[in-house]
Amino acid sequence: MAAEKKHFVCVVCPIGCEIDVVHEGSTIVSMEGNKCEKSVEFVTQELIEPMRILTTTVRIQGSRWPVVPVRTDRAVAKRLFPRIMKRLRLVELQAPVNMLDVVLRDILRTGANVIATRAMPRE
Amino acid sequence: MAFDVRKEVDVAVIGSGPAGLTAAIYAHRDGARKVVLLEREEELGGILKQCIHNGFGLEQFRKDYTGPEYAERLIKELEKTGVQCLLNTLVTDLSSERVITALSPEHGALEIRANSVVLAMGCRERTRPSIGIAGTRPAGIFTAGVAQRFVNIDGYLPGKKVVILGSGDIGLIMARRLTLEGARVIGVYEIMSYPGGLKRNVVQCLNDFDIPLYMSHTVIQIKGKERVEGVVVSKVDGSLRPVAGSEKFIECDTLLLSVGLIPENELSKKAGIQLSADTKGPITTETMETSVLGIFTCGNVSTVFDLVDYVAQTGAAAGTSAARYASGSLSPNKQPVDVVAGENVRLLFPQRYGFQDDLVLFIRAAEPVEMPVTVEVTPPGSRLNRPYARPNEMLRVKVPREKLADVKRPIRVSIREK
Repeated sequence: MAAEKKHFVCVVCPIGCEIDVVHEGSTIVSMEGNKCEKSVEFVTQELIEPMRILTTTVRIQGSRWPVVPVRTDRAVAKRLFPRIMKRLRLVELQAPVNMLDVVLRDILRTGANVIATRAMPRE
Repeated sequence: MAFDVRKEVDVAVIGSGPAGLTAAIYAHRDGARKVVLLEREEELGGILKQCIHNGFGLEQFRKDYTGPEYAERLIKELEKTGVQCLLNTLVTDLSSERVITALSPEHGALEIRANSVVLAMGCRERTRPSIGIAGTRPAGIFTAGVAQRFVNIDGYLPGKKVVILGSGDIGLIMARRLTLEGARVIGVYEIMSYPGGLKRNVVQCLNDFDIPLYMSHTVIQIKGKERVEGVVVSKVDGSLRPVAGSEKFIECDTLLLSVGLIPENELSKKAGIQLSADTKGPITTETMETSVLGIFTCGNVSTVFDLVDYVAQTGAAAGTSAARYASGSLSPNKQPVDVVAGENVRLLFPQRYGFQDDLVLFIRAAEPVEMPVTVEVTPPGSRLNRPYARPNEMLRVKVPREKLADVKRPIRVSIREK
């Protein structure tokens, strides 16, 4: 595999090192600009598959507000965000909902559950 | 369900966002028996309720909460205390004698006399008139926080083709949020040469979604009759003036403004509290005492903080001081000294030192320095090193009380390259 160059901003801590990486696939050949070793793990994961927590809302019936905030209970592949959002648009909950209730289990077989991040009582 | 509202209290807290909730919890914990929390909205939690993204409480709880989860944690703690919470209650007046006038549909007009008052009213967003953009007045212009409320609480998408002016944190967060909801965010335009929000938000909200950020750019005109049809953006020069010939029309149906926050101090003014021209909040000591005896301040009504952890920290200090003042155990300040901004410091909080506690300073740099800096606090001549100084990330430094005991003149704070 040919070596490629990529630029990253490390978000492990607030410093936010600007890092230039030469990589072959997910193997780091060289990197410049990082002030500590934590960036190595961060960059490696970014090269393999950028993972993020997704936070959004889903529709709910029978409560004071028409939507309830939710998040994935662990990081999921960022590239799946559009598909997860599409799937969540089909969800309509019924109040009451408790905080941390599972809204959708194992979304798109990621192993992550989508959970409510606040209680929504029936009204 | 009617109940008797306490008319004479030890501590009254105005506002139930992260600052007010924390202040009420700490006031109770530190011995105030009768505490009342006044909230103008129908739920506790303030702005946290609409901040559905994660990243809250990383420092304070070592957890990565969303805004509603963070609020819920504080509310659960508050529920154990017996603090009386008055919702839908708008405080309309506060006197220097600590008499609060409030209105509520449930209890009518209320008058509450408090031994101590904690101000926790938070801040509000700067709007189009505060930055003066030319053009028509169509629908489709929102502050970022209002758009956030529409999307995250009311369930509306405010537009489909969006330009964001200003790179404050809420604008960055909304760029991502609107993109996820299917809107097209054309770009974020920032008048300064550096972003207004935290670096991690630039990375995770813009870079992650390939949303461009244009520094040294601004919107100079809004076009459209009924609805926004587009905006004219322009580069700006070193004195932030539009550069002739760089104008560009961008078609869009929505303009979000994320152009700064202003502490909401109408009540503070009514109570005759002295405000700082820099922070736009009360001039405060390290015990969160304002210039009016028995009135304390915390959170974003004091100065606009970057992190909820800092807001909660000042809330805790204000709650503790309010409880101590109410019980008469807060010793009167020995003549306080001023804390003043020196080299490369745009603003400081607190602005006075009253010799009661360690001095925890929140400092906003005037200009970015992307190399190690020393924060110098003189007297007593403390020097604290930090890896960088950025205007969009407050520096927090602590000078222990022992070092400050003999200080007689104003304390000057400077940021210098190391």
